[in-house]
Amino acid sequence: MSNLKTRDITQLALIAALYVAVTIAPGISAFSYGQVQFRVSEILMLLPFFNHKYSWSLIIGCFISNIFSASLGVADLILGTLATAIACLIITRLPAENKFLWAVPIICAVVNGIIVGAELHFILHLPFWLNFVTVGFGELVVVAIGAVIFYFLMRNKNFSKLIR
Amino acid sequence: MDKIILGRYLPGDSLIYRLDPRGKFLLTFYFVGIVFLANNIASYAFLLAFVLFAVYLSKINLGFFIKGLKPVFWLILFTVALQLLFTPSNHPIWHWGIFTLSNEGLVIAGYIFMRFILIIFISTLLTLTTTPIEISDSIESILKPLKKVKFPVTQVALMLSIALRFVPLLVDETTKIMDAQRARGVDFGEGGLIKRIKSFVPILIPLFVSSFSIAYDLAIAMESRGYKDGEGRSKYRVLNWSKRDNLTILFMAIVTVILLFLRSY
Repeated sequence: MSNLKTRDITQLALIAALYVAVTIAPGISAFSYGQVQFRVSEILMLLPFFNHKYSWSLIIGCFISNIFSASLGVADLILGTLATAIACLIITRLPAENKFLWAVPIICAVVNGIIVGAELHFILHLPFWLNFVTVGFGELVVVAIGAVIFYFLMRNKNFSKLIR
Repeated sequence: MDKIILGRYLPGDSLIYRLDPRGKFLLTFYFVGIVFLANNIASYAFLLAFVLFAVYLSKINLGFFIKGLKPVFWLILFTVALQLLFTPSNHPIWHWGIFTLSNEGLVIAGYIFMRFILIIFISTLLTLTTTPIEISDSIESILKPLKKVKFPVTQVALMLSIALRFVPLLVDETTKIMDAQRARGVDFGEGGLIKRIKSFVPILIPLFVSSFSIAYDLAIAMESRGYKDGEGRSKYRVLNWSKRDNLTILFMAIVTVILLFLRSY
């Protein structure tokens, strides 16, 4: 991290801003919040798989998005960001082979399901498994479709050069 | 668009606005923590009085806080209904199939509802009176001790503030790209789940390209102005910890003591 160049810093910051923009942009954000969340911007969770440094973008992007969102206030701010950080940590440990791409949606769904599910359980006494399923399902669907999209996108040489 | 630029910040001036953002940030978390200590009507009523007092001090219309509940209205309704109808009890008031309405259920539903209101109001108070930039500055300051374990605090803080600065620009860019793609016949927000998420691709790629080109220009601009790395840089916005912040902490300590008393009362 200490050897990040200025260009890396600006690039990571802009990707974080992109995550936030997609989360709050009118039109796409429509089904981002609620009991079953489909936060479309979570598609970007695939980025750390291809290039580890994007973990920073995801963590920062998630943090800023949660400042704007209202569901559980400051509890989301910390725990939501923590969930993203843990998911990124696991994703960056995956071997860089294409078949492991399909593990990313499962990791994201399980980590978010456990942490956000536990958060809702402790604060609102909602049954943990119900939260785990609703949160995890939304995440799984979005990131799984994201994995398919990225699988084909990365075949494009120019795009893949941009990311890696 | 203006609403997005400012996040949920509402310009104003009052005691709450003038508090140090670091203190405000940490005390908000502290408050969410002590909400869990409340266990009877007196303690919940006391905490509600405290939050309403803070709202009063902020000089912000209560309507803004009630508006903050809107996005979670269904979650609140669902939670309260679940507690009302599924709390097991030996003395049900009303019973039908798997549903049970009882005094215990009413009490628990009431407490959960109160907890919801307290946490959302106090969080709304933080985001209404603190700009996102102030929040990111206080994060940098709070994370500073992590420097000892080689956590790149200054670089993360810089990324956080650059990201905040460019969010409005990229939101603008996103809407522009969406309009351009609509003109080419792409349907957003229509069709099934998979179709809706797939329609994201024609936005994603142009957005990537334009973010990378902004990042490239920004990096050149920064380096030509002599940016090397985060170390030893001075600050434009300096956070000042003052007497009123100490007093606020003292006040919170008194609130905690009273809460502990009410709890065992």
